[in-house]
Amino acid sequence: MFKLNLKIALRNLWKNKTSSFINVIGLAIGLAACLMLLLYVSYEWNFDKQAKKSKDVYIVMTHITDDFGKDIFTFDGTPTSLSSTISSGIPEIEFVSRVSYDQNLLIANGENSFKKTAKFADADFIKMYDFEFLSGDEKTALLKPGSVILTQSMAQTLFGTTQVIDRTVRFQDKTDLKITGVVKDAPSNSSNKFDYLLPWSEYGKVDKAADDLSWGNYSFNTLVRLTENANILDVDNKMDRLVKGKAKWNHSPFFLFPLSKLHLFGKFENGKSVGGDIDQIWLFMGLAFGILLIACINFMNMATAKSEKRAKEVGIKKTIGATRKSLILQFLTESMVLTLLSIFIAIILVEGALPTFGNLLNISLNISFVEIKSWLAILGIVFFTGLIAGSYPAFYLSSFNPIQTLKRKIKSRGFLSINLRQVLIIGQFCFAIMLIISTIVIYKQIQFIKDKPVGIDVNALVDMPLEGELKEKFDLLKTNLLNSGAVSSVAQSSISLLHHGRNFSGLEWQGMSKAQNSILFNQVGTAYDFIKTSGLKLISGRDFSPQYSSDTVSVLISSAAAKIMELKNPIGSVLKFNKTDVTVIGVFEDYAWDSPYNANNPMIVYFNKDNSENVTMRLNPKQSLQENVSVIEKITKEINPAYPVQLNFVSSSYDKLLRKEKTLGILSNLFGGLAIFVSCLGLFGLVAYSAEQRTKEFGVRKVLGASVASLMQLLSLSFIKMIGVAIVIAIPISYYAMGKWLNNFEFHTEITWWIMPLAAISTLLMALITVSFQAYKTAKANPVDALKYE
Amino acid sequence: MIELKNIEKYYSSKGIKHYVLRHVTTTIKQGEFVSIMGPSGSGKSTLLNILGMLEEPTYGTFEFLGEDVTSLNERKRIELYRNHIGFVFQAYHLIDEMTVYENIEAPLLYKKVGSSERASRIANLLDKFNIVAKKDLFPNQLSGGQQQLVGIARALATQPSIILADEPTGNLQSAQAEEIMQLFQKLNKEEGITIIQVTHSEKNATYGNRILNIQDGVIKEDSPTQAPQMGGVV
Repeated sequence: MFKLNLKIALRNLWKNKTSSFINVIGLAIGLAACLMLLLYVSYEWNFDKQAKKSKDVYIVMTHITDDFGKDIFTFDGTPTSLSSTISSGIPEIEFVSRVSYDQNLLIANGENSFKKTAKFADADFIKMYDFEFLSGDEKTALLKPGSVILTQSMAQTLFGTTQVIDRTVRFQDKTDLKITGVVKDAPSNSSNKFDYLLPWSEYGKVDKAADDLSWGNYSFNTLVRLTENANILDVDNKMDRLVKGKAKWNHSPFFLFPLSKLHLFGKFENGKSVGGDIDQIWLFMGLAFGILLIACINFMNMATAKSEKRAKEVGIKKTIGATRKSLILQFLTESMVLTLLSIFIAIILVEGALPTFGNLLNISLNISFVEIKSWLAILGIVFFTGLIAGSYPAFYLSSFNPIQTLKRKIKSRGFLSINLRQVLIIGQFCFAIMLIISTIVIYKQIQFIKDKPVGIDVNALVDMPLEGELKEKFDLLKTNLLNSGAVSSVAQSSISLLHHGRNFSGLEWQGMSKAQNSILFNQVGTAYDFIKTSGLKLISGRDFSPQYSSDTVSVLISSAAAKIMELKNPIGSVLKFNKTDVTVIGVFEDYAWDSPYNANNPMIVYFNKDNSENVTMRLNPKQSLQENVSVIEKITKEINPAYPVQLNFVSSSYDKLLRKEKTLGILSNLFGGLAIFVSCLGLFGLVAYSAEQRTKEFGVRKVLGASVASLMQLLSLSFIKMIGVAIVIAIPISYYAMGKWLNNFEFHTEITWWIMPLAAISTLLMALITVSFQAYKTAKANPVDALKYE
Repeated sequence: MIELKNIEKYYSSKGIKHYVLRHVTTTIKQGEFVSIMGPSGSGKSTLLNILGMLEEPTYGTFEFLGEDVTSLNERKRIELYRNHIGFVFQAYHLIDEMTVYENIEAPLLYKKVGSSERASRIANLLDKFNIVAKKDLFPNQLSGGQQQLVGIARALATQPSIILADEPTGNLQSAQAEEIMQLFQKLNKEEGITIIQVTHSEKNATYGNRILNIQDGVIKEDSPTQAPQMGGVV
């Protein structure tokens, strides 16, 4: 029986080429979209979950509160003293290690020098994860000072081979490190990615704070691995007991959080995870299944539209002894065959589109065809899709009563069937319209943020890290650069103009009330020409200047800071900053320091020549960009030959901040387009079929004198009405949803009135074109052809 | 074999009953060849549908092989279709997507007949009806008469004890019609298959051995056919 069903399914596919084509293409697109999004979702979902015991690895989080216990924020930084304090006394902790944030540092083999991602960690770090050692001893890894572990690709880059044990590399142009191991590269969806790994003892040479055992500097990560099934609350309590009293806390601010969850659930409120990027994952899942559902609906609609034809078959089969079950199986077989055909096309589509898609999202995705798991997943999707697409026709068609169908009493537009089909079409177009509206709103928001003045003149502004020889020879660099004419102004600063999270609390000023002490301020240490170079607008006062020796104890403040401190006459006010009295000499206009979406923290710019990490330069607009850049590179390389020159355009950094929203925009654009396309494909199929059914009716009407326009109207109107209903439903829903989305941003655009008619009219237009193409063809047909047909 | 007692069928609309059949009481024995005749709208097709359990009577009892089948559930009904009843339709109602061979095979597949038995039965039928050469053609490649032959072969495949035929020659030219009627007669005489047909044509009715004449839902006349006429054998 199955064989015959299969054969008939294939014959049916072949016989109804138009509808098969529409179904297969629609389903293939739906499946391809679904597969791609699911690949992305699984990439994100498996973040930090590759290691065998990854679920026992936790990161210590710090929850900062003010004096009254009010939530300030939660982050993953911890002080250096923490790990040694909790390493003994808590039996559940198997391993504990300090780990640095990613550092982009210089590593060289002779002339071959690169800036690559370095991590510093204690020896336990190796044991926490199952790093695969290609060579070297993992037991002694990270134990010896002056040693380094390279990844496979790092070794290849430096030496062209992975046989590099006991060879040396030059680190930061200062120290030689002996290679004691080569490990396989970590998967890209892992937060413990590095190009080379160094023992903690080396960290002090880069950042002195790493050597001190302090409780005040939260610039380091602490990772622990617990024994299996350990109770985290117990561990947190034990940690609290060990840590309490170390630094005047009533409560330790530390708690454990599974590292594998940090990536997707990294948003904290009151020290509790309240979601994070997981929202985006749900959104993508919704998109994936939405598109697939649209394709399934096409299949259902086509199948039920053909019910008249199929009903006869059902009737006959019932009179020759077919049970309902066998008929249901037959219809499901048909949909499965179709889905199977579609998945092959879908896989080809995915393979073709994946590199581009990965580029858009900035990750590399691929289907691993060797793994049984991915095949099982694909088969699962096929089965699921076939079932969804086939179930409604299967149950609907198989329920026909033989006598009615054989007597042709069945109405092809039965009350229920036409209603359900209408509902499905309306649903499809609702989804499509909502995606169009979202796309427009997202783009409008991105444009809004882009057009919003950032407060500094980012054009022709470049920066580079101040490192190696440059640190000592900054003044030389500055003079050479200015003399070359490539730049019009140069300033040094502790961090770049665009930075994330270098803030502090505890600033004191005259007339402050005690509670405000916990306000977070951003801080930048700089020297001369800061305002001039950055192009910040001074509201009052002046820039730092060598003419005033007192400027070493002066600060510039942002207008937001002046407002918060309620300074009537900010210039000349004295603040207590870092336990020293400093005088305000200038107030500048706020600018977007770390996020263009929110009002930033108030900002203090203080004078410090010695802890600069960054050079900002304003290029000379009179010369060509290329010329300027090559001059800067030459001068920098002369002074600091060991380091590659890393020029970075500040405007491109701003663009990067918009990346997440841009991705969202691209995705909703792409999948919105696909949704519309697949929906229109389905609509086309339905109209084509309905035209075929009504050929005779149209012929008669034409003979009776109906015009082409009236016939077209007859065929299109009912479909266009459905799109109208979809528009009416979709607009308020998307208005509400996008309003909610926009409210996530402190600075956001408005949903203007024209978006709705734009989306509505463009959808209607596309549907109209789809429908009238077929309608016109039918209406123009010669009535004789229609009438002699019987 | 078949016992109808006081069968009534009516449709009510707005409180008015429209009778299609009234007080139909009759018995049909194994091996009979009955023709149901009557003008259009007299209820003859409805009677056949009730006999085929495709419709339920509003009132009355219907016994088939000594069993009350007035209202049966779908599974039991399908069981009867598989084992006892073969249908032949005016519009042939072959399955368009299946070849001649597959159309005849379908009821056997539903009945779960083993494959070798299936093959031999189909070969036998194809041979008997002289359509061996057509076995791989699709219905739309056959003439009406040939299609009806396939329809009859399909009805016979499960070796039913009764064939219900609704105007089996209604769409056929007279030569083909005659061929079909002779086939029916032969099946009835030689294999003892009970045949009940609905027909308009006096001539077709004479191939059987009993005529039920229905008018306005009532059996007006129940008579044996006069001078049974033996035509040439197919």
